[in-house]
Amino acid sequence: MDTKDLTAWIREFAGLVAQHKDELTALDSAIGDGDHGVNMDRGLTAVVAALEAEPPDSPSALFKKVGMTLISKVGGASGPLYGTAFLRMAAAADSVLDGAGFAKVLRSGLDGVVARGKAQPGDKTMVDALGPAVDALDAALASGAGTKAALQAAADAAEQGREATIPLVARKGRASYLGERSAGHPDPGATSVTLLMQAAASTLGS
Amino acid sequence: MVGLVVVCHSRALARAAAALASEMTQGRPVAVEIAAGLDETTFGTDAVEISEAVVAADSGDGVVVLMDLGSAVLSAETALELLDDDQRARVVLCPAPLVEGLVAAAVTAAGGAPRDEVAAEAMAGLAGKQSHFGALSEEPGDPVSRTEEAPSAVVRVLNPHGLHARPAARLVSELRPFDARVELRNESTDSAWVPASSLTRVATLGALKGHELAVRASGPQAQQAIDRLVTLAAESFGESPVDHAELIKSGPALHRGSPATDHYPRSERSSPAPCGQPGIVDNSDPPSPQPTDTADPPSPQPTDTAAAPSPQPTDAAAAPSPRPTDAAAAPSPRPDQAAALSPQPTDAATVYGLTWQGTASSPGIAIGPAVRLHETVLEIPAEESRGSEAERDRLGDALATARREIGRLSGDIFEAHLVLLDDDDLLGDARARIDGGATAPQAWRDATDRVAAEFDALPDPYLRARAADVRAVAAQVLRALLGVAAATVDGEGILFAADLTPAEVAGLDPTRTKGVVLSGGSPTSHAAILLRTKGIPAVVGAGPIEVTEGTPAVGAGPIEIAEGTPAAGAGPIGIAEGTPAVMDGSTGEVVADPDPKTLADFQARVERQRTRRDEAHKRATEPAVTRAGVTIKVGANVGSVAEARAAAEHGADLAGLVRTEFLFLDRDTAPDADEQEAVYRRIAEALGGRRITLRTLDAGSDKPLPYLPAPVEANPFLGVRGIRHSLVHRAMFAEQLRAIVRVARETPVSVMFPMVTTVGEVFEARRMLDETTGGNTPAGMRVGMMVEVPAAAIRAAAFVPYVDFFSVGTNDLTQYTLAAERGNADLLSLASGLDPAVAELIDGVCRAAGDRVLVAVCGELAADETVVPRLLASGVRELSVAPSLVPLVKQAVRQG
Repeated sequence: MDTKDLTAWIREFAGLVAQHKDELTALDSAIGDGDHGVNMDRGLTAVVAALEAEPPDSPSALFKKVGMTLISKVGGASGPLYGTAFLRMAAAADSVLDGAGFAKVLRSGLDGVVARGKAQPGDKTMVDALGPAVDALDAALASGAGTKAALQAAADAAEQGREATIPLVARKGRASYLGERSAGHPDPGATSVTLLMQAAASTLGS
Repeated sequence: MVGLVVVCHSRALARAAAALASEMTQGRPVAVEIAAGLDETTFGTDAVEISEAVVAADSGDGVVVLMDLGSAVLSAETALELLDDDQRARVVLCPAPLVEGLVAAAVTAAGGAPRDEVAAEAMAGLAGKQSHFGALSEEPGDPVSRTEEAPSAVVRVLNPHGLHARPAARLVSELRPFDARVELRNESTDSAWVPASSLTRVATLGALKGHELAVRASGPQAQQAIDRLVTLAAESFGESPVDHAELIKSGPALHRGSPATDHYPRSERSSPAPCGQPGIVDNSDPPSPQPTDTADPPSPQPTDTAAAPSPQPTDAAAAPSPRPTDAAAAPSPRPDQAAALSPQPTDAATVYGLTWQGTASSPGIAIGPAVRLHETVLEIPAEESRGSEAERDRLGDALATARREIGRLSGDIFEAHLVLLDDDDLLGDARARIDGGATAPQAWRDATDRVAAEFDALPDPYLRARAADVRAVAAQVLRALLGVAAATVDGEGILFAADLTPAEVAGLDPTRTKGVVLSGGSPTSHAAILLRTKGIPAVVGAGPIEVTEGTPAVGAGPIEIAEGTPAAGAGPIGIAEGTPAVMDGSTGEVVADPDPKTLADFQARVERQRTRRDEAHKRATEPAVTRAGVTIKVGANVGSVAEARAAAEHGADLAGLVRTEFLFLDRDTAPDADEQEAVYRRIAEALGGRRITLRTLDAGSDKPLPYLPAPVEANPFLGVRGIRHSLVHRAMFAEQLRAIVRVARETPVSVMFPMVTTVGEVFEARRMLDETTGGNTPAGMRVGMMVEVPAAAIRAAAFVPYVDFFSVGTNDLTQYTLAAERGNADLLSLASGLDPAVAELIDGVCRAAGDRVLVAVCGELAADETVVPRLLASGVRELSVAPSLVPLVKQAVRQG
């Protein structure tokens, strides 16, 4: 996969977030400050505009642009979290990525999110979807699956991870102020990560 | 000069905070840059902007960054990554509170201090506010201690049994909400300081009555926390009221050497007995000698247990503490109460029988040995840890399960159990063991064993006995971890238990369990309803009784009383397993170890009951006609095909309520119309073609459906349930209506909507029903609604044009009218029986209904033989009760 493919992934992600903006905001209204959908949509709209204004010439440049735009334009905590993920991915990316290369890049992104947010699995955060997705991607590739199939497995794992956040009590961010009341809803961050991985499964690999 | 950067979500807030700070530094301007908001009005933070602000604020001496919360913190951290290494090294991210920190930092920076000092001053920015509030609560005229000491106090423990689990639980749960770190130590035993947030650590202080506890606190709400603790101690942590003046309240220096010891109260009034508190009477005949160490002379003995006055709560409130040493100092009770309320635990041989007055819950007499629930043996399987995360998750899930189970019960004991589940010390220990490689079950067992052993090692026998609380909670969580069923009943007889889960009741065998006596619960709890359904006589709310292992006392021998028994609410009364017992589920009487006279009385009652029951069963299939010649249909409430068969066997005239939930619960997908139709038809067949009243799904977050995840509601009984739920999930509702209409084309069917509040709901439900029938309404179909929401009862007349019948659900109507949750043992007196307010509502419904709409009662009150005449007098013309009760209710109609 090259810069063009990866740009398509980011555009697809932006499109999915725009489509699900209200849903993400509703989820966040249930357990947070109600801005996740609006914030992510604002950030990704700015990302798409930036990519059009100046198409990046390498995966690394692409991820850096995405990251910088997100940390600047999202506004909420998902800005520095997604932004850090993409900045770390930029640092880890080669000029052309195969499945394993992409998996390595994505794991760097996960490490960035964990370092930034200090969230553990089970804290009801985006880590609960991104962690399983990255693990599933590695596992599928290791078992010989093609990139496309492996990405689908990663998207499925993200979805399962998201579902698994429903009964959890939030321990990070403003949702944690709600305590037990945060249980019963999926985490909005885990939900947007699921969209990110679904976008990867539908645009990357062949 | 060190520069400052303000990061926050709101640009306006950042500007105002910066302006406030600049007022403090007039003449010596400090570089304050703001990085706040995405624009003038959009809340948010921008890492790029923050990094630019840092660059702008840095004159070479470095920058201190102050942030508000959430993304401000993450964005500030992210901004650091955007700086070059030199500059990053000169930046301090300071977690001080934004406004206070900024003011302190600005002043310090203006003075030329280096950045670490600026940050430290910012961190100390709260000190002014803290000492202000700290100083306010000091005694006037004590200026010295105002700022020098952290808030502290010394309190004396007034509780007769010291700071045992329940008062300790109260202490922990009351102090937890404060933003303060509170620590306690037992000055009297010179113990170490322990955190007040840990129940197990607090309990291990071994604080007995009269001990002095030192308390100290830090944090923003330190003083409030201390004040709360002082008040709590004055109130004996909720156990008994004591004059505030009797308490020491001071900074640590004030009371030293105080000769106050003799001024403390030496005895306490016992707290009012909860409803159903057991009275202990001497039912020997002739009266036994009285113990000689009470202040009061022996009282006249009741000669017949059944006739003995049971102690009333109002009397108990005025009664003395039953501890012998305190009795002498306490106000004298009336002599006739002394015998009933002052058992002597140190002299058990003088107590010859135990009588409890609980709440009648399921009619019938039972005679038999006391039996108890036998806990399943919990063995830790030999298995490898699946990794600390997975094992922590397992433990977390089990704790959540246990929390849910305990949450259904109410009372202080269970509160203590709940607090244990949140105990930092216990959970921290368990998690540390998991991180050390143990599996969740191993770690939990070891951690709870340690804590229980700490209790075991305490010198005070009462506190020692609290190890049982730890073990109870430990077993509950372990059962959840291992997926082991709760408990079983061994042997035939009368089951004594604290409470039963619906699942446990469901597992009882009526041929072996002759009767049930519950310490807690209420007649309208699910357990009680199920007991009635099964026809097992039951008494609930009997107060704490515990059947223990040991030699049963047979005949009129002495009863062993568990240690620590006597104080009101202090601990359970113990009776040995196998002790003969009798109970009457119609009167609420329970007697353990009855004397021959009492036993004969109960045997006579059994005989009368049998005669009456035989008569009722002989006439079960006959119609129930009142003396006035009015025929009352008596139906059955059924929740399965098997219950429908039982209804037919017991002579039910119809199924007055078919709870269709059973089709929907405990499965992964909703049943389709075909499946529902088949089951409804089988119910109709089981009833031999008699009318069946199908209540549409009464689901909600109190009975969640796995395939329809509903948001957790703070109060499910006031949430989206019943018809509200159906009108939200219309596809499922339409599917159910389809099934109902199909069956209604073949057999007499009534359809009934639950939890109706407004006319609009009935209108909408009927509209959907009309859509289903396509305008071709089945000939025999009737449409009705449950009246269980007071709003619907009050406005019954408004519903009359839209329904063929009302069915009053007395359980929920009572609960909602009295704002008294069913199942709450503390509200027994409100939640049981026919309350006058509910009776008036039913009267009103009947008046509104007139001759146009039939009024039925399908709640539990319809089965109360004493209530039936009243309902019929109001104009109720149909009753629906548990299948086994149909013959008796018919008999009650005939005689009423």
